[in-house]
Amino acid sequence: MALLEAKNIIFQYPDQARKALDQVSFRAEQGEFIVLCGPSGSGKSTLLRLLKKEIAPHGNVSGRLLLQNQPLSQFSSEQLAQTIGMVFQDPENQIVMDQVMEELVFGLENIGMPTEEMRKKVAEMIHFFGLEHLLHKRTHELSGGQKQLLNLASVILMEPQILLLDEPTAQLDPVAAKDFIGMLHRMNEEFGVTVIIAEHRLEELFALADRVIVLEQGRKTHDGPPRKIIEEIGNPSNNMYSYLPGSAVLYLEHTHAVREEEIPLTIKEGKRWIGNLTIETKQQMKVKFPMSNPLIKMREIDFQYDRNQKKVLDDLSMEVYSEEWLAIVGANGTGKSTLLRIMAGLQKPQHGTITYRGKKVKGPLPIEIGYLPQNPKLFFLQDTILLELTEIARKQKLNDPDGKIIKILEAFDLIELKDRHPYDVSGGEVQKAALAGVMLSNPSILLIDEPTKGLDPEAKMKLGQLLKSLQKDGLTIVMVTHDIEFAAQYATRCAMMFQGNITVTDSPDKFFRGNTFYTTVINRITRGSHVPDVLTVEEARKVWHVLGTS
Amino acid sequence: MNRGFRSFHPFVSFFYYVGAAALVMLNKHPVFLFIGGIILICFNIALDRGKTLKKWWRTLVILSLFFLIVNPLINHRGTHILFYFGQNPIMLEAIIQGIILALSLFCLMVLFSSYNLVITADKFLYLFSKWLPQWALLTMISMRFVPLLRRRLKEIQTIQRGKGLSVNSGTMKERAKNGIQLVQILLTWSLEEALQTADSMAGRGYGLRKRSRYIPFKMKRKDWLAIIYMAIVGSISIFGWWLGDGVLSINPILEPIFLEGREWFYLFIFILFLGFPLGIEEREALRWHYWKRKI
Repeated sequence: MALLEAKNIIFQYPDQARKALDQVSFRAEQGEFIVLCGPSGSGKSTLLRLLKKEIAPHGNVSGRLLLQNQPLSQFSSEQLAQTIGMVFQDPENQIVMDQVMEELVFGLENIGMPTEEMRKKVAEMIHFFGLEHLLHKRTHELSGGQKQLLNLASVILMEPQILLLDEPTAQLDPVAAKDFIGMLHRMNEEFGVTVIIAEHRLEELFALADRVIVLEQGRKTHDGPPRKIIEEIGNPSNNMYSYLPGSAVLYLEHTHAVREEEIPLTIKEGKRWIGNLTIETKQQMKVKFPMSNPLIKMREIDFQYDRNQKKVLDDLSMEVYSEEWLAIVGANGTGKSTLLRIMAGLQKPQHGTITYRGKKVKGPLPIEIGYLPQNPKLFFLQDTILLELTEIARKQKLNDPDGKIIKILEAFDLIELKDRHPYDVSGGEVQKAALAGVMLSNPSILLIDEPTKGLDPEAKMKLGQLLKSLQKDGLTIVMVTHDIEFAAQYATRCAMMFQGNITVTDSPDKFFRGNTFYTTVINRITRGSHVPDVLTVEEARKVWHVLGTS
Repeated sequence: MNRGFRSFHPFVSFFYYVGAAALVMLNKHPVFLFIGGIILICFNIALDRGKTLKKWWRTLVILSLFFLIVNPLINHRGTHILFYFGQNPIMLEAIIQGIILALSLFCLMVLFSSYNLVITADKFLYLFSKWLPQWALLTMISMRFVPLLRRRLKEIQTIQRGKGLSVNSGTMKERAKNGIQLVQILLTWSLEEALQTADSMAGRGYGLRKRSRYIPFKMKRKDWLAIIYMAIVGSISIFGWWLGDGVLSINPILEPIFLEGREWFYLFIFILFLGFPLGIEEREALRWHYWKRKI
């Protein structure tokens, strides 16, 4: 008997011609771990929300949803609220209360549980989650990862049988995301909670999942165990190819006779497979990037937000060279975003000098610097993208504003979206629109904060290519990111930030090869083995020539 | 820190503050109030080593002195003329009344400076939620929203400054216009985000039935004992006030300031009430002291 079953679900949002979900059917057994993947706008969130009655979207639904072989409508709202729990994408917005303890018991209070029972439940669950030290804190003091764990804990406290998660790690840094997925896995293993998770970051999830369901444009295109799915969509012409984990792609591209059970999903499996390979190096590709002309020079920068707090930047010195793409990586709270803001002239350091093209900067920085914040939504003040661009052009007193706006809209592929509200477009699109706003005044340097946050692999790739082409046209890019794969693929130089200072700077090649943890999955598989080590799938494509397996 | 007087049920603390405030206002006798003031200062010191008092003492002293000086200047009732200040006779009665007024005010202010240390926001909210649960929930949610909105506004300000939009420079009109735009985007953004909060609330079954309330505090034996103790001592003290023993009568005849007879007894009762939390704190400190010596 299936725990949850969807039969021929068709869903259409009001006033939209396209069906958001088209004939979707699936079954979820007790204790299954199901990964739902697909590009943004493929209907993942809609499907999850339809399963959760309280927040189901309005529109035309047909088809049947069964819980334990009975229609969902036969259950009382309280039963459903308890049986099906949901965790959303944004860690901050799901939190209702000011104190951690109150947040934890919020759901329990809603179902009218007496205090004694709440106390007991919280006591054991807090221990399981290792959240004891946070219990008496206020919710806004927690980091993003801790917030998301709190959200998970407060849903789990209601003892749901089915847990729905809508891109829960999209806003987290890689370490926090791993912790979260690890906790989810334990939940699934030890309590037998059925998990249905929609996610873009699949590197770890493929290894944990019992089943993968692929949605594309509202249709279910694939459904099966992870290795089978990889085999099915494992050819570069498939739209979903970029979603596959690096290890699997590496295997598929360098194996003649693909065997499903052999596909490596984890680093361990990847290493085992590599161990049997004989590989010859085709050619060493060495791109030397000239670093002659420092555009920005920072010397001995000290910065703290408050006199009583610790220094965010501590005696930091660095250079940014002309026409390079510098990626700054590092853990949360090491001052990466602050550094970018100081470069953009939005924060004043307490100590130190910044020179721009050899001239010392005092007061506001030259407008040749464009800054794109982590949350691109905050960039917009006007009601449509076009109005925003017009307003920027007016403010910057550009000549021929209309011509420039049209040109940039075309270059960024935004013509169709120009009359939409910035909040109504997808994450990748709002990012692009904000980038267009920054690039309108034609800056020579672009400072960009976490550009890949929450983007699906395809949007990420498009953004990478767009930025690359801008860089080729002479733009200097400084990027702060957690996304190591993205940095390894596109950046020309990488810097590591630690405790308010830049510790290492090197070309991505050398930079990532020296790291054990802060490096790409592909590098972790190949380093220390007898095959030539590579950073990305692209590099392997160019460098490797597989002679055979031993 | 959750030891000593602060470990009692919020209701006990609240009862003490209501009782103490009433006694300090009723017993208009300089000796009573002077000793009361000293006890309350000691209590403050026992709670946080006098940090809060240090912050406020200037205000406390200035306000008290103000009443001390103003009363004799405007109040001319009485029989004992001390001297003339210009054309105005300064009365002994008025000076004593000024002292009582100043001391009474001083005691109240010192009492309230410890109030915030003992009855913290969550304890107050708990007391409050007994009678108005819906409002208490609303207050708790808004307690999160106020700092959240402030952080968001700051974020928007920083980012928009990068685009050249600032509320700190330009003409008055421009600044006002920019400010309105910033607030507008704050509201749009926050509403958008609040939709997700609403989803998360609905997802956890909010509004399906009557909520229960997590009660972080429980009435224990010591809480009941404290309430009984305070009720008895407090009633005796009020009885003493009713008899007129805690009040220095000034008009028509000025009573001698020095205590006599029964007044000593009621002073003792007054101290027993006001000094209750101080006693608890001191007992706690002593316990620690001996406990450490034993090891």
